[in-house]
Amino acid sequence: MTPENLLHHPFPSQKCTLGCPILDRCLSGGVPCNSITEIVAESGSGKTQLCLQLSLCAQLPVSLGGLSASALYFHTEFSFPFRRLNQLSHCFQSLYPQVFISDAVNSSKNGNCNPCDNIYVQSVHSADQLLDMMPKIESFLANSKTHFPVRLIVIDSVAALFRSEFGNTTSDLWRRSSLFFKISGKLKVLAKRYNLAVVVTNQVVDFVGSGEGVNGVRIGNLGSLCSSGRRVCPALGLAWASCVNSRLFLARDENGLVDGDESSFPYWQTTRRLHIIFAPHLPYSSCELVIRREGVFGIDR
Amino acid sequence: MEVCRLPLSATQRGKLISAGYTSLSSLSSASASDLARDLKISDGEALEILNVASRSSRSDNAEGSHAIINGGVPGIGKTQLGIQLAVNVQIPPHCGGLGGRAIYIDTEGSFMVERALQVAEACIEDMSEYSRFLRKDLQTFQVGLQSKDILENIYYFRVCSYTEQIALVNYLDKFITEHRDVKIVIIDSITFHFRQDFDDLALRTRVLSGMALKLMKVAKNFSLAVVLLNQVTTKHTEGSFQLGLALGDSWSHSCTNRVILYWNGNERCAYIDKSPSLRSASAPYSVTSRGIRNSTSNYKRVKMM
Repeated sequence: MTPENLLHHPFPSQKCTLGCPILDRCLSGGVPCNSITEIVAESGSGKTQLCLQLSLCAQLPVSLGGLSASALYFHTEFSFPFRRLNQLSHCFQSLYPQVFISDAVNSSKNGNCNPCDNIYVQSVHSADQLLDMMPKIESFLANSKTHFPVRLIVIDSVAALFRSEFGNTTSDLWRRSSLFFKISGKLKVLAKRYNLAVVVTNQVVDFVGSGEGVNGVRIGNLGSLCSSGRRVCPALGLAWASCVNSRLFLARDENGLVDGDESSFPYWQTTRRLHIIFAPHLPYSSCELVIRREGVFGIDR
Repeated sequence: MEVCRLPLSATQRGKLISAGYTSLSSLSSASASDLARDLKISDGEALEILNVASRSSRSDNAEGSHAIINGGVPGIGKTQLGIQLAVNVQIPPHCGGLGGRAIYIDTEGSFMVERALQVAEACIEDMSEYSRFLRKDLQTFQVGLQSKDILENIYYFRVCSYTEQIALVNYLDKFITEHRDVKIVIIDSITFHFRQDFDDLALRTRVLSGMALKLMKVAKNFSLAVVLLNQVTTKHTEGSFQLGLALGDSWSHSCTNRVILYWNGNERCAYIDKSPSLRSASAPYSVTSRGIRNSTSNYKRVKMM
């Protein structure tokens, strides 16, 4: 057993850009490889949007902050948003014409003409099923003749994997917790072996009660997490929080109806904010962001 | 002077010596508030110094184990503490440090090289500044250590399974025999790989106790500090819940020192839960871009429990 030479580790550690310099700055470059990053948010906050965007950005060359890689996308709850991915992909290609050459001559040589081809989608319904899939996942990472190697794994969302089969008894919670560590352990092995960036999304549950109680345990930089005007906490509890390396929180707040200008109707304004809850390499920071047709973008305000 | 051997920052050492604390025994009988007053430092810092001193003084004894277990919720600063220790142990003797190397066993993948480099650079700046102060001349003082040297002096192991972890702990004896300059072993975190489903729980307890024993022996035989970073879990007892160290029952007999890291409002605090020589006390700290530092809050009293 020999120790690793830290000087041979890439410095800074390799990261996958989020496709926006303001978001990247908040995360000091993007989502790190060889690490599990969790995005916590309530439904409709933009977790899936961010994940789709990441899956596209992973294909960018390293010089543009990408990983020159394919993505493996596990969706657990709803059907995969193919239409939205296509929409994003078209905007993405026009943003980076130098990377995605779409003429017929080059497309035979350049398999990456359509970025959607480099995102492998798989549905998963339970934690046990995900665990059973691990050997297949590993051989896909190791052997598949994909145009780009897979360097990004997304699980959207991990909370849904644990939803139905676990009750509230101590033994159920214990069994569920063991599964957290098994799954996280295996994902970390893969992340290390193939230098993957692993991104998981998680839901929130309402915070009920006083500061006492399980959900009252403060985890990370924010004393309390608020979204849509109410206090929330990440699902899956303290055990799962001990399984991820970094946690990001996407908060959304409805600011109410805003008067449009003369030509348009009043519209509902939503503010969205990304917070660093904990990360071994990042201080606390937060960044406002918007979701547009072209994707998710941070705003300096 | 004995205090020169302690892995403290050069500034702290200078203050100790100026205030007359030159031997370890003078420190062992001091209370944190006395020290804080004499050194004109925060109570939190005084507590840290006493911690380090009691760790070191036990290195000289045949008795007692020198293993410290630090537990806390995610994001409280366990990995940050580990990185800070791995850097501080290297402070060279001519700046009053141990000049040793560190073994860092990373079981979770939280160690980030860029963070270690940040902490290392801040440490070097602190050392230069103190040395300039000591020497009272305006020449830039060569600390003799660069940040890349600091990274090289950390023997970093990444373990990805409990079998790898057991094998590595068993191998430590041989490794440290061949690398006698190691003065600290940090394991971050000790229980991650053991929280999966073990078919035989009795086996898990035996394995963990065996590992704990092995680590105590390493600490004793080589006179070094062993720092175990642990996760916390919720224990439900009769309707209420409590936070406890993960797999705590397996460790409670092995570690003689226990420090709990926790949130007190918006402030991070360290609480000495168990120690043969120090009274239970808590002190605030903060995680900054330069590493672990004193809390910047005004309320800095060490709370004796």
